[in-house]
Amino acid sequence: MDPVALDASELTTRQINQRLRELPDGARALVTEPRGRHNLAVGLTNKIEITIDGNAGYYIGGLGDGPDVTVHGFTGWGIGENLMSGLIRVKGSVSQSAGASAHGGLIVVEGDAGLRAGISLKGAALAIAGEAGNLTGFMAQAGTILIGGNAGEALGDSLYEAVIYVAGTIKSLGADARISDLTEDDVTAVKALCGQAGFTHITPEDVTKVSSARELYHFTSAHASSY
Amino acid sequence: MCGIAGLTLKDPGLRPELGAMLAGMLVMLEERGPDSAGVAIYDGAGALAVTKDIGGAGQVCGRFGIADAPGYQGVGHTRMATESAVTKAHCHPFVPADGVCVVHNGSFSNHCTIRRELERQGARFDSDNDSEVAARYIGSRLAQGDDLETALHAMAKVMDGFYTLLVTTPTEFAVARDPIACKPAVIAETDGYVAMASEYRALADLPGIKHARVFEPTGVHTWTR
Repeated sequence: MDPVALDASELTTRQINQRLRELPDGARALVTEPRGRHNLAVGLTNKIEITIDGNAGYYIGGLGDGPDVTVHGFTGWGIGENLMSGLIRVKGSVSQSAGASAHGGLIVVEGDAGLRAGISLKGAALAIAGEAGNLTGFMAQAGTILIGGNAGEALGDSLYEAVIYVAGTIKSLGADARISDLTEDDVTAVKALCGQAGFTHITPEDVTKVSSARELYHFTSAHASSY
Repeated sequence: MCGIAGLTLKDPGLRPELGAMLAGMLVMLEERGPDSAGVAIYDGAGALAVTKDIGGAGQVCGRFGIADAPGYQGVGHTRMATESAVTKAHCHPFVPADGVCVVHNGSFSNHCTIRRELERQGARFDSDNDSEVAARYIGSRLAQGDDLETALHAMAKVMDGFYTLLVTTPTEFAVARDPIACKPAVIAETDGYVAMASEYRALADLPGIKHARVFEPTGVHTWTR
């Protein structure tokens, strides 16, 4: 069956999201002419496949708990913000705060990610094929971030229990982030994530693992200068 | 908020369309800055033409016929005033030196200190806008012989605050952002042009945009003609 066609140049964001919400599980939809529109495919719980054909705006696929979303282009801030489940795949690069606060599901960025990707991550997986900007994984609490390229400054600043794997170089670590030993379980996890993301340019045995040093969970005056 | 739009053309065939392209971009950023709008056009023939006034981008561009202006480079700004008055003097772009044009989205926290230092060195201000301080600082560095990229790095060391700046000279087009980069910027580059805007929505109507390289710049990015 052909996908349901939704032309963003003729429909408001609310109309598009309402039409998407009405689709039965298993349906497919094609959103054309997104032209940087914000808030497309937000807050959906049906198990549908959505393709957005072009560069899109902020918060695409946010709050999703069911759909799979593929964007053929660039997206602005907050791709997959607070995602609960499902797969979001961006064929291009993304702006800031990719996967912010995402609880579940997988967000794949085939290009580069701007600053603060995975900020306050709460359990989702975020796979970035290319470079990741400064403060990636800031305050990330749970989940996994895989960076296929190089990471910027202050990687994993104020990290809680999320784990970051980096295939390239790390410009600098943030407060309370440390390089830790790569275990067999880590290699298995990276292999699985590469498989799901379709990344073939990463050697799982060679990634650098970054996790929390757990020294700043509770404030003590002795650590005041570390914050 | 505030909105920024800028365009530097590589393809001379697009020059007759510069004003229309820039006005179209700026109108999409009107809601980011409804208080005033301003445009600077480098037409290659005369002095840098700067037009700015109170009102929305559509109104201001229409009033001054921006869509009909040809050129090889242009800069636009829509302002949402946060720290100083809504008057024509407070509108962007600021022109701190011949051919130099600065627009800003953000806020500077130490602009009064820097202003006093610049005034001691002889700088004269047209407004009490914090963005004008950054513009005058960049202008002073250029006057001391810095190239634009060096001037922007020097500004980053001295001026404290949040900023996405678009700064142009007759031969350069530069985007500079603070390290936290919470004020947005997106670049689209094709064989025909480099375009910069606060949001991609403003770039969506540009010719060949579907095949452009679209990315978010950080730090200082400079294109030289």
